Amino acid sequence: MLPDESHISDEELLLAADDVLSRDRSAAVAKHVSLCGTCRTRKQKLEEALAEFVDFHRRAADPGVRLAGEQRAVLKTQIAALTSLRESWWAVWTSTFSFRGIAAAFAFAFVLVAGYRTWPAILASRPAIRPVPVFFPEPGLTPGAVATADRTAVCGSSQPKTRNVPVSLQRRVFEEYGIPGASPKAYEVDYLITPALGGADDIRNLWPQSYSSAVWNARVKDALEDRLHDLVCDGSVDLVAAQRDIASDWIAAYKKYFHTDSPLETTP
Amino acid sequence: MAEDQTISDTTGVTLASAGLADAVSAGASALEEEVVGWFDELQAKLMRYLLTAGLSVPDAEEIVQETFLALFKHLTRGKPRHNIPAWIFRVAHNLALRRRSLVQRDRQNLLESPSYEFVAGGDPNPEDQLALKQRLARLAGVWQALPEQARLCLALRAEGLTYREIAQVLGMSLGAVSISLARSLARFACAQER
Repeated sequence: MLPDESHISDEELLLAADDVLSRDRSAAVAKHVSLCGTCRTRKQKLEEALAEFVDFHRRAADPGVRLAGEQRAVLKTQIAALTSLRESWWAVWTSTFSFRGIAAAFAFAFVLVAGYRTWPAILASRPAIRPVPVFFPEPGLTPGAVATADRTAVCGSSQPKTRNVPVSLQRRVFEEYGIPGASPKAYEVDYLITPALGGADDIRNLWPQSYSSAVWNARVKDALEDRLHDLVCDGSVDLVAAQRDIASDWIAAYKKYFHTDSPLETTP
Repeated sequence: MAEDQTISDTTGVTLASAGLADAVSAGASALEEEVVGWFDELQAKLMRYLLTAGLSVPDAEEIVQETFLALFKHLTRGKPRHNIPAWIFRVAHNLALRRRSLVQRDRQNLLESPSYEFVAGGDPNPEDQLALKQRLARLAGVWQALPEQARLCLALRAEGLTYREIAQVLGMSLGAVSISLARSLARFACAQER
């Protein structure tokens, strides 16, 4: 029988099982274990304890592991969004450096317009934390809400052109869009249907518009809102139609009412 | 350390990087497939580990998403592909620590967390079920008495990581990992004998 001091420690038994020891030491441990019943028994107990723990661990944690398919779909959506954004940046960079200004704006506008058509569907299974900035309202979160559909009320009142959204409501909007830590300096919480067109003070009518949006930005949307207000009040456009157009796709509405495919020059 | 730098780089959403041109290339979809492949292989393991680390299920799911997005960016930038599973666990571990300190949950006892609790069902025989419950209660007692580092070592080992990989993920020496695991398993072995 081997004296106690010559036994292999538990640590070394484990390291040997994981093939971490040097070749010589590993061979010495294997030889010792083959001759020493005590070490063999300890090794077996350690292995059984690990197996026991693995079973315990699975029973404890497996109930929390769920919906792998859904998680996979979310991941693919986020990768697609990331790739799309990278592509748009790349388009702007290359164009800017080669043609300067106009070509960059055109390419970026193209990417954003194409993205506007596809992103609402892609983002239907919205992740809890959004990895990319918000450029467009999501119909599921911001379908639009109206306080009135009465043209007289809209055109007769002297409503302020802009209305401040309370900070607490802004925070809720950020949370809904998966950007809870967003800086108010990076986003303007904007009414989808402006109050000047009868839009309501309702979270379903609010969305965070990124200031980093280069083309279809808040200034362009303001111009559309002014135009629609004028058209509604001079009787050219029905108020409900105007509300529906701006809520369903404000960029398409801009193109429709300004008869253009890209934003016109506006004064700041 | 270069590897640590890699982790912090890959958890940010920095778009204007040197690898931008590569991201635009046709290889992006191949990388996506590769990342989804790793996701299929490691998602359940990673979830279990993150739940062990004390995260709630929603937080753990978010960390899993962030980790695989970080992997996509990592591969997009052409960074090293050596031992991707260990890299994934390391990034997830770091993100989990950050998240946990953010929500100040690190004081909580893991077994009091609803995301990591025991399910003793599945055995039709009431006697077997009682024996199982008693066994799990014994193991739970051992688990609760372990320091957190020991729990994380064990959880990573249970997910099949080697000692070297565990050392990398947790930033410990190989010797410290083996000591920790040996002590923990000895306690579990004692609990088995009782």
